[in-house]
Amino acid sequence: MSHSHTKETDGPEVYFQYEDIEQQQETYLVGMWSFLVTEVMFFGALFLIYTLYRWKFHDDFYLVHEQLNWKMGGLNTLILLTSSFTVALAVHFAQKGNTKLQMRCLFATILCAFGFLAVKTFEYGAKIDHNLLPNHHFQYGHVEGEEEHHVESKWDKMLPSVLQVEKKEQHGNPQRARLFFSIYFTMTGLHGLHVIIGIICFTALMILIKIKSSLITDYVPTEMVGLYWHFVDLVWIFLYPLYYLIPK
Amino acid sequence: MAADHGHHEYTAGGAHAHHILPQKTIFLIFGLLLGGMALTIWAAFFLPVKSLLENTFFMQSLALGIAVFKAYLVVTYFMGVKMGTRLVKIFAIGGFVWFFVLFVMMADYVSRPMEPVVGWEKVPSSALPRDTVKNPE
Repeated sequence: MSHSHTKETDGPEVYFQYEDIEQQQETYLVGMWSFLVTEVMFFGALFLIYTLYRWKFHDDFYLVHEQLNWKMGGLNTLILLTSSFTVALAVHFAQKGNTKLQMRCLFATILCAFGFLAVKTFEYGAKIDHNLLPNHHFQYGHVEGEEEHHVESKWDKMLPSVLQVEKKEQHGNPQRARLFFSIYFTMTGLHGLHVIIGIICFTALMILIKIKSSLITDYVPTEMVGLYWHFVDLVWIFLYPLYYLIPK
Repeated sequence: MAADHGHHEYTAGGAHAHHILPQKTIFLIFGLLLGGMALTIWAAFFLPVKSLLENTFFMQSLALGIAVFKAYLVVTYFMGVKMGTRLVKIFAIGGFVWFFVLFVMMADYVSRPMEPVVGWEKVPSSALPRDTVKNPE
């Protein structure tokens, strides 16, 4: 089952159930892709829900989406694209056997992931302060006794002025606004959960590499976690224009 | 796909040379992704043609078109489908084909009116847009 060899000449270890290393690596990757297909199904249903309500209530969705901060969303897009880039480099260095650079790229990816969550914290914090989380505190639009419904948030004030929310008056049907924020929090929340799981996976991978675990015989574990991370990036590539940049 | 590769073809990381995405390509794809993002934001706010800027269908198609192109780059290059075996390609493509088939379900919603559910509009926590229901009693 295991052979003594030097990796440079013989290739990585082939486990007993596989014909050769090609089949072994392909099996791992197809397994990961099968998982990603279930993820596509999972997010696919949510994208369908979004499409349905956006199609039905486009005008309200347009008015409500102005409450979202497109600059913060853009910053997160930048962060996630960068992290995808560092993961691609990590896989590249893993394939070449350059563990030092591989670890640096993985570390940079984890930093990006935390950066993403930090931006999301500011966004969610402001939304919750604005009573836009669709729970029993939810409040949107005109309030009796007020000329215009203005909203303030300590999370928004902490940001440099260029990143603050531009639109503070709330327009559109409050019930549809509630619907919008239900879908928004569900989809971005699930996406955020995937980011957290990604951080855990990358950390575990780095520890296993660091302690020279026998589980890591080649680049494939890095490639597999990388595939997962690229998928997380992929979801955000669609979430960003669909939520933050709704056309009139 | 088990081809006859000589052992000397493995890198120190246990990969075949033809599975490795060159560094230059990684930088190029990253640049294209950033460009796509910049283009999306620019088009959403600063597209100089006003008639297009006010055309919802065009603007949404443009934003989604760029997103699909970005997704194509990520899946093909970063996720290595281009260098992958046939089986990997089948799984990768299958997932996204399924995604588009799912949207056939929209045909059902588009072709028929949404039926009001009696009583549902009274559930306080319901996210259903209540004013779509006519004569709930």
